[in-house]
Amino acid sequence: MRPFIYIHPQNEKEAFTAALATENSKYLGGGTNLLDLMKEDVERPSQLVEIADLNFNKISEHESGGYTIGAMLSNADTANHQKIRENYPLLSMAMLSAATAQIRNMATNGGNLLQRTRCPYFFETSMPCNKREPGTGCGALNGMNSQHAIFGWNEKCIAVNPSDMCVALAALDAKVLVQKPEGDSRTIDFKNFHRLPEDKPELDNSLEPNELITAIELPEPMFSDHYDYLKIRERSSYAFALISVAAGLQIKDGSIAKAGLAMGGVAHKPWKLTASEEFLTGKKPTSENFKKAAELAMKDARPLSDNSYKIEIGIKAIERALTQAFERKA
Amino acid sequence: MGIGNAIDRVEGHLKVTGKAKYSSEFQIENKVYAQAITSTIAKGEIISVDTSEAEKQKGVLAIITYKNAEKLKTSDKKLPVLDVDSIQPVLQSPNIHYYGEYIGLVVAETFEQAQYAARLVKFEYKKETPKINFKNHREDAYRPKEESDYSRGNVEEGLAEADVKLEMTYNTPIEHHHPMELHAIIATWENGKVKAYASQQMIDNAAKTIAKTFQISKENVRVISPYVGGGFGSKLAAKQHVILAIMAAKKVGRPIQLTVTRNQMFTNTNLRQYNEQKMRIGAKKNGTLTALSHETLSHTSTYEEFQESCGAVTKMLYKVPNNLVTHRLVPTNLQTPFAMRAPGEATGSFALECAMDELAWKLKMDPIDFRIKNDTQTDLSNDKPFSSRLLKECLRIGAEKFGWKERNMEPATKTNGNWLIGYGVSGASRGAPYQKTSSKVILERKNQTVYATIQMDATDIGTGSYTIIAQTASEYLKIPVEQINVELGDSLFPVTPGSGGSWGAASFANGARMACLNAIKELKKKLNVGENEEISVEKLLTDNKLDKFEAEGTAEPSEEFEKHSVYSFGANFCEVWVDKDTGMYRIKKMVNVGACGKILNPKTSFGQIIGGLTMGAGMALAEQTRVEPNFGNFITRSFADYHVPVNLDMANIEVIFLPEEDKIANAMGVKGVGELGITSVAASIANAIFNATGKRMRDLPITPEKLIMAKKEIGVA
Repeated sequence: MRPFIYIHPQNEKEAFTAALATENSKYLGGGTNLLDLMKEDVERPSQLVEIADLNFNKISEHESGGYTIGAMLSNADTANHQKIRENYPLLSMAMLSAATAQIRNMATNGGNLLQRTRCPYFFETSMPCNKREPGTGCGALNGMNSQHAIFGWNEKCIAVNPSDMCVALAALDAKVLVQKPEGDSRTIDFKNFHRLPEDKPELDNSLEPNELITAIELPEPMFSDHYDYLKIRERSSYAFALISVAAGLQIKDGSIAKAGLAMGGVAHKPWKLTASEEFLTGKKPTSENFKKAAELAMKDARPLSDNSYKIEIGIKAIERALTQAFERKA
Repeated sequence: MGIGNAIDRVEGHLKVTGKAKYSSEFQIENKVYAQAITSTIAKGEIISVDTSEAEKQKGVLAIITYKNAEKLKTSDKKLPVLDVDSIQPVLQSPNIHYYGEYIGLVVAETFEQAQYAARLVKFEYKKETPKINFKNHREDAYRPKEESDYSRGNVEEGLAEADVKLEMTYNTPIEHHHPMELHAIIATWENGKVKAYASQQMIDNAAKTIAKTFQISKENVRVISPYVGGGFGSKLAAKQHVILAIMAAKKVGRPIQLTVTRNQMFTNTNLRQYNEQKMRIGAKKNGTLTALSHETLSHTSTYEEFQESCGAVTKMLYKVPNNLVTHRLVPTNLQTPFAMRAPGEATGSFALECAMDELAWKLKMDPIDFRIKNDTQTDLSNDKPFSSRLLKECLRIGAEKFGWKERNMEPATKTNGNWLIGYGVSGASRGAPYQKTSSKVILERKNQTVYATIQMDATDIGTGSYTIIAQTASEYLKIPVEQINVELGDSLFPVTPGSGGSWGAASFANGARMACLNAIKELKKKLNVGENEEISVEKLLTDNKLDKFEAEGTAEPSEEFEKHSVYSFGANFCEVWVDKDTGMYRIKKMVNVGACGKILNPKTSFGQIIGGLTMGAGMALAEQTRVEPNFGNFITRSFADYHVPVNLDMANIEVIFLPEEDKIANAMGVKGVGELGITSVAASIANAIFNATGKRMRDLPITPEKLIMAKKEIGVA
């Protein structure tokens, strides 16, 4: 590892002051991704600001019926929280499918949103990668790309976002609360938090320099009865998704009042299936409609040389997730 | 007391309390740390080295590259055969043979200083185009040695006689051993003498490699390896890091600790190579095999030769008059492959036992009946009788325990909701070798109690060597296990073949037995007591007026052993549930039956088989090292990418050992179980997947993406 400054502030003010004082500073949450990448020489921050002691570790209910979950709460404590299990079982299920118990104990909610891609070209500093080193090219494009994107990619970057939690948050229409070092705060709609590679594949999200995620806001619970997180992977735990689907349905009077649908492992960001959600709204929860929604979701997929299987499995996975969500016995 | 009991590991308490010291855990005074640097191109030459920045760093003591490395023994052959005691020259030239090859070493006061400085050493290369995928260089294929080919009868004629015949190609990927304990060494060089605390499976071979590479006498090399956290073949031989550490110790004049990182273990401690195996098989309508051909194409490196014998099992497992086995190698710019758990059997049995299943289905025969129909009590590859062979019994008893009769012959006909259910079987065999082994026993009498210490340079790589040696001594000295102390893993102790090739248990136990029997014999002789007289070891010492007595013994294979083919046999049954839409599958149940001689300790033996089955399941499910086709590096870099099975992947496992008395194998009738477990597991899973889905999966691993894209076999309804 390269030498770096380590700061352990006791409050927000100290944290922001420290972050602003040193160029190329990063906040340290659980460190399950950042420290790994520093050991690999991929991330090279000159300073780490430990934010463990800042007061962002609560889960609270709003008057409107939604919840706010703190950015510094661990993935394990969030997923296992009684209120989250009751009201957002889709989120809990997605989070518990991720990584290992040990990693979930360390990883924070804010950190999960900032997880970097697992693209092997990103991890190996001797290979070209526009995300790690802009301008060097994308090694995966004409290399090994079976794990890569089928939506939203361009020749600059074909990497996928690895998070499970974020797929559920996309389906749930969450919001991300962010604080600027100068003191202002802002709210970012989840669908706008992560970005597509476009001409800046080095940027995974829309955070400004030194902005800090403080919380995630969840709207009023809608999918607590009908939900499913389906994760297709090479082994039963501790494997990133080849493809995953988060599906939530609100059923009223035998029809779908609201649908939340997103996919993981298919794009540079959690891929919200807006057209399928709109298609399902107001329809009957039949296998025929689920199939149509799935086909609609995959209509614009653009596979790479090694990953057309993602379309094949993707259609089946969306159908299956919707069916299992509908048939779930609360 | 004694052998055959399922006692707990005698060293278990030391391990769970952290008192068992692994090689990098020894507290050596004045110790410093080394970090290796590896190449970032797959072929070419280093044209410049800049160490200036690294040298300036605090704590840095030495930087070694090919420019200033000590001259070591090198081979004058273009492709020397890699063996367990081969020389391991390193940093001897600017030439790069593969991505990840050692090109330098930094020594510093602390681990962190060494790591950081290693990053600052700059290398410039002249790149050349590497040969990465052996399938693109078939024209380079060569026969490594005459024995690489074998034939009896005439396969072409046998195929012509067949009523049903098939030709298929099976592929197995690069795999890595990845024992839990990283390869590590603490080395000292004092007055021309080497002392190495190194994680090695074979002490004597490591000492030989070190002596030969530095061209010093073996007497000046001491290797110590009391506990080894797994090896699976990767620690059979001393690797280049051992040489690097000793070289640095000599240069710096202080003890050097060098740990190979997990990432470096992909490129510097060998691998199991790709195999492309072409099978041709034919039989009469009644199921009698007429021809069996097994042609393997693999890769080796461009600087060393290693050939895995995938066809070894095909020569001897079934009664088939016309048989052909060949092996060809293509040199590529990858690290040299080397033995990984059941080299040849694990990979070869996948091709053979899938091919047997494929032909059984074409014949509309039950695959168990088909195997039994072609059973033989003679090894047709050498015309020797098997010392014992219970393959038929393994298959029959396993079928009964597993509930094989519930299986539908027609694939894709058994379902439960979204799951397709399939049953698969495979037969297995693994040689039961046994090698010359020496041991020493030290008897000590305190009051009325006799304590014994057994010493040998054997190793315990997690298998239970300490325990079975203690049980053996207990058996032949007739004193409780608690009074026996076993000391292993030191080149000062009598020589054994070490752990590998499934010969450990048989060799160590018989060696310990001989030492114990010799002690008793010599003590009786001193008293002029008849050899067959029953008399306790305590009384023997008392009557001899001795408080302490030492004896040595050596066991080695008998003439009878040489006149027979000595093997363990087994059968694996598995039930697989495949999700019809997503291609994910679960191994629901496994029954493994083995006939492997006298079981010294059912508990440690079960552990070996369960481990083997899990590793075999890994072969089937997910294990593979992926090679980047343009750059030649491995894109699987850690356990996050290199997928071994997790608990949830594994089934309910039932392990059955058939009672077997085989005194031809050795005096105690012991056969190894370390490799039988992994053999044929992948085939039983692939066969179960066919039974579940009607899809023949001939490329390992069988991932969801492959399974979902595969087409049903022609003829499946």
